[in-house]
Amino acid sequence: MPESRRNARQNHLALAMRILALVRERNMSPGDHLPEQSFSEACGVSRTPIRSAFKLLEEKGILSWREEEGFFLELGRDDGLDEAAQELESLEDSLAHRILTDRAARRIDDLQSVSALARRYSTSRTSVLNALKILSRDGIVTQMPGRSWAFQPILDTPNAADESLQFRLQLEPQAILTPGFRLDAQKSGLLRGQMQDALQSAAGSIGNAGFLRLDVEFHMLVAEGSANRFVRGALMAHQRLRKATQKDFSIPDFRLRQSLEEHLDILDALEQMQFDVAADLMTLHLRRSRRRRPEAANRGIPPLMRGPR
Amino acid sequence: MTSRPAPVIAFFPEASFGAALNCVGIAQEVRRMGGAPVFLCHPGFNGVFANYGFREYHLPEPPRSSADKAQDDWQAFINTHLPHFDLDPAAQLPTYVAPTWEAIVDTAMGAEAGLCALLDQIRPDAVVLDNVIQFPAIARAGVPWIRVVSCAETELPDANVPPYLSGLAPDAAKRSAFEAASLAATAPAHQRYNAFRKARGLAPLAEGLFLEPSPHMNLLLSPAAVRYDRALPLPPDRFRYLEGCVREETQFDMPELPGAGGPLVYLSFGSLGAIDTALIRRMIAAFDGLPAQFLVNVGGFLEGYDRVPDNVYLASWFPQPSVVAQSALFIHHGGNNSFCEALYHGVPSLVMPYCWDGHDNAQRAEATGTGRWIHRSDWTAEALRDAVMGLLGDTEMAGRLAGISADMKAQPGTRAAAEAILAQVAEVTPAVPR
Repeated sequence: MPESRRNARQNHLALAMRILALVRERNMSPGDHLPEQSFSEACGVSRTPIRSAFKLLEEKGILSWREEEGFFLELGRDDGLDEAAQELESLEDSLAHRILTDRAARRIDDLQSVSALARRYSTSRTSVLNALKILSRDGIVTQMPGRSWAFQPILDTPNAADESLQFRLQLEPQAILTPGFRLDAQKSGLLRGQMQDALQSAAGSIGNAGFLRLDVEFHMLVAEGSANRFVRGALMAHQRLRKATQKDFSIPDFRLRQSLEEHLDILDALEQMQFDVAADLMTLHLRRSRRRRPEAANRGIPPLMRGPR
Repeated sequence: MTSRPAPVIAFFPEASFGAALNCVGIAQEVRRMGGAPVFLCHPGFNGVFANYGFREYHLPEPPRSSADKAQDDWQAFINTHLPHFDLDPAAQLPTYVAPTWEAIVDTAMGAEAGLCALLDQIRPDAVVLDNVIQFPAIARAGVPWIRVVSCAETELPDANVPPYLSGLAPDAAKRSAFEAASLAATAPAHQRYNAFRKARGLAPLAEGLFLEPSPHMNLLLSPAAVRYDRALPLPPDRFRYLEGCVREETQFDMPELPGAGGPLVYLSFGSLGAIDTALIRRMIAAFDGLPAQFLVNVGGFLEGYDRVPDNVYLASWFPQPSVVAQSALFIHHGGNNSFCEALYHGVPSLVMPYCWDGHDNAQRAEATGTGRWIHRSDWTAEALRDAVMGLLGDTEMAGRLAGISADMKAQPGTRAAAEAILAQVAEVTPAVPR
């Protein structure tokens, strides 16, 4: 990887870490505004890199952006700011993230050796092994007999995304219907506010990365509430996989908003303990979320779609 | 006093991305202006328009056995026609254009009964047809119908406009020969289509024509920058030119590429082009190492690619208007929607046409200094790289395109189209309860 590009990314990450240090020094609370000018002066850089770093922090759910108002702190020290900062430092800047991104973009094959990865990333075998161990925790890679590592299926193609949705259709309503489902009220309230804020934003401003973060958090919340430990574990692992590898995520603004409204309806039903209604709404939501892209079409030739109709 | 219900405008685009998404842009504006747009869908597009918030009415799905047959037909289509896309426009007439017109006529005949039933169900106040062939059910629906010419302007013949699908300049010496060959190639399909029209109570069309101008309103996706000076100007009360028809699309978040950065180049060959995975692989190999970042639309064939270079990112779908707006160069097949989106955003086009009006737009891009035309497959890696870098460095073209973009954005085609459509309804909608 050329140094200039890597350096730019690392600069943004370093700046993001510096911003988080300032947030902690200033004892800022969730909901506090982060003025660009003030952070630009404190960090001794112009506002453009500050904005890039803010955006990076927004992607990680640490900040939120409101139109014509700017960036606001989402997390406080009591609800995960320190952990989020650690994750940013240890995971996002890590070799594991770069390996996973390259696999999701089909830059590297699904079978890899430590030495080949060490050559590609110009790093030591120890660093590569550590990165592979991080990825193996979420089941993204598996060590094969011998020296090779195999990537497991990830959400990198439309067919994979379709299969993921089928898998979730089987399990997510069941997660809700299993007796003993418990919704984390605090997380639910926080997420509800974030989704309502997104719905208030101007048309076309939500963006797919921001939506994916909210979407994964919502479905993770549902998974965490399940009383069946195996359903819970399988769904949480799958949501982590979605968060890490789902790409090609391009949904019209109308559907993004409709989807957020469906999330809110499901939360309403869960909060009112109407679990059968919530499960039905989840089924409807997932069916509606199926990707709708004609696969191929031509003048005079009907378009065809692969997969279930 | 009760208020009049919102006029229902039924959009019926042909089954291709260009027409479908062009209609989405117009329908978004119709909705904003108080109309009630709905979509008539070919099988395979079900759900596409619903994701933009529009009610859909579906033409009947073929029975399962027919759907399987369609999959086989599609594979046969690819096997048969891939070599034809390398031919020049005249050589494509018997090999590609003639069988495609036969298939289009089949489509029109097959859709007729379902279309009649849907129009009876919807009872629209107007129908918007974005296609290359007339469907008798629409002409006989008893409401105004609006024709959208979302192909190149060459679809409407004129002495000063090159022959449709020819890729020729207006004054080319080969003009007469191409016109004669085109009529001969399409004659069997045309005779069959005219017989179908007669059976459905419509007058026959002159040779070579499969769709008449609407007696109500015709909308041409033909920006001023590339428009021809017609020998017989089109009457402005029935023909309106549109300065692009760019839909509102979700924001595209640029992925982080491990390459060295550089200007963004977007490659998409439309509904059809992704089938030629071997060609796209060759192109990707040529892009490797160039000081630019490439986004490549590979359609439904993503799983056929591996070892993607660090400066290339593949996806099966991009929100094109948002991507083109961020790009410094758009490599496309000359589809009119793609060409107009490039002009709208002031982005140069590298046109590599496969077929149909792609040839016409490739010629027009060269003639108007808004892009370059190269053969879709007959190039060396060095020539392709030179073409890409040459266009990225062409400041004179960039300046010209910036002016075109500003003019087009000042008079958006979606708004002009929506106004023209709703004006038709205002003229004829009876003020009685439906």
